[in-house]
Amino acid sequence: MTIDWWTLGLQTVNLVVLVWILARFLFRPVSQIIAERRAAAHAALDDADAARRMAESARDEARAEAEKTAALRAQILAAAREEATGEKDRLLNEARAAAELLRAEGASELERMRRAQQRALSREAGELAADIAGKLLDRIPDSARISGFIEGLAEAVAALPEASRRDLGAGGTVRLRAARDLTGTERTLLEQSLKDALGHAPELHIETDPGLIAGLEIVGPHAIVRNHLRADLDRIREEMADNG
Amino acid sequence: MDNPLTVDTLFHLGPVPITTPVAVTWALMIGLTLFAWLSTRRLALVPGTLQTVLELFVTTVDGQVHDTMQRDPAPFRALIGTIFLFVLVANWTAVLPGVEPPTAHIETDAALAMIVFVATIAYGISGRGWRGYLATFAEPSWVMIPLNLVEQITRTFSLVVRLFGNVMSGVFVVGIVLSLAGLFLPIPLMALDLLTGAVQAYIFAVLATVFIGAAAGETPVAAKPDKEDTSP
Repeated sequence: MTIDWWTLGLQTVNLVVLVWILARFLFRPVSQIIAERRAAAHAALDDADAARRMAESARDEARAEAEKTAALRAQILAAAREEATGEKDRLLNEARAAAELLRAEGASELERMRRAQQRALSREAGELAADIAGKLLDRIPDSARISGFIEGLAEAVAALPEASRRDLGAGGTVRLRAARDLTGTERTLLEQSLKDALGHAPELHIETDPGLIAGLEIVGPHAIVRNHLRADLDRIREEMADNG
Repeated sequence: MDNPLTVDTLFHLGPVPITTPVAVTWALMIGLTLFAWLSTRRLALVPGTLQTVLELFVTTVDGQVHDTMQRDPAPFRALIGTIFLFVLVANWTAVLPGVEPPTAHIETDAALAMIVFVATIAYGISGRGWRGYLATFAEPSWVMIPLNLVEQITRTFSLVVRLFGNVMSGVFVVGIVLSLAGLFLPIPLMALDLLTGAVQAYIFAVLATVFIGAAAGETPVAAKPDKEDTSP
């Protein structure tokens, strides 16, 4: 067995050249296209990742917007609720005020009606008292209707101010109202008593008014002096009405 | 039948005799070059069938180199890939009538082993430096220096003998059977030669990878071969 050194050298050169050729025309292009595909895949993955991040960002923004909208809605609802509460309070206050006003008006009306009723009752009571007094007086002597009141009338006239007493009868006659016609004795007693009270004798113009029930009444230009049961009953009735 | 241990001279280029293995190698080089040039002219991101096969081949070589060396396969891709591809194609030329595989002659196998030997030294010096590479001969002890030096020669010689013996014997046996028996009898043996040729190509490439990787030394584990480098 021999070795052909020329062949060995040529084959060595051939193989070195083949390594270079295949490196240039096979391994480099194929590995480059693999790398390009890998880069493209990475780019696609990066794009997908960027798109995913954008989608997440958009989702976060939408979520924040929804939360903001919910907060705004809650704020609007709270404001509306507060406004409704205020409006309700205002309406309630107005209703209360109106009810209070109605109640006050009702109370005032009731008071007015009560007073009117009281007055009517007093008036009826007065009339009833007058009737009762008249009927009771019918059972006592008729002279009591006048004579019993002369002294009181004279005392009331005496209690008048000086100017009023001076005016009574100064201008002429003095009106005298009586529950019935005076007898001579009663007239004389009355004139004497008035003279004592006034200091002068007035000229009397006597009028009969059974409404007085019993008693007398002098009507002067500036003063009226009453001393009869009607006046007493009227005063009592008015006091009852005032106190009732 | 011709003596497989001798080479036939076809013609002379001046003083240089052009033998059959050289001529067949040239033919294979032309074929491989045309194939590589034609098949990589229109590479696309969406690969066709042929491109898929090529990419599968390259990524397989890268994976094998990475698994063996535990480092970036890019600097070794072209050498290991070319050795495997050439040995495979050369071995399979045995099925062509009248063509004798170049690897059935010891000059071709010796050329391949010499390239591996030189590459081992080159990558060793490149990876470790002069002092570092020479220091590897004193591992694990300086006593081992003679044995390590002898190992460099013997393992290169074993590459030559293994490939040459397997391919030459296959061709020799087929030739003997063909001369003794009928036309179709050697077909199973030829099919067996195809398998043997593929296995020998794989063994030669893997051993070259192991030798070069051992010489280049350990480096931090590189990225997976299908992740980074694009250089051939």
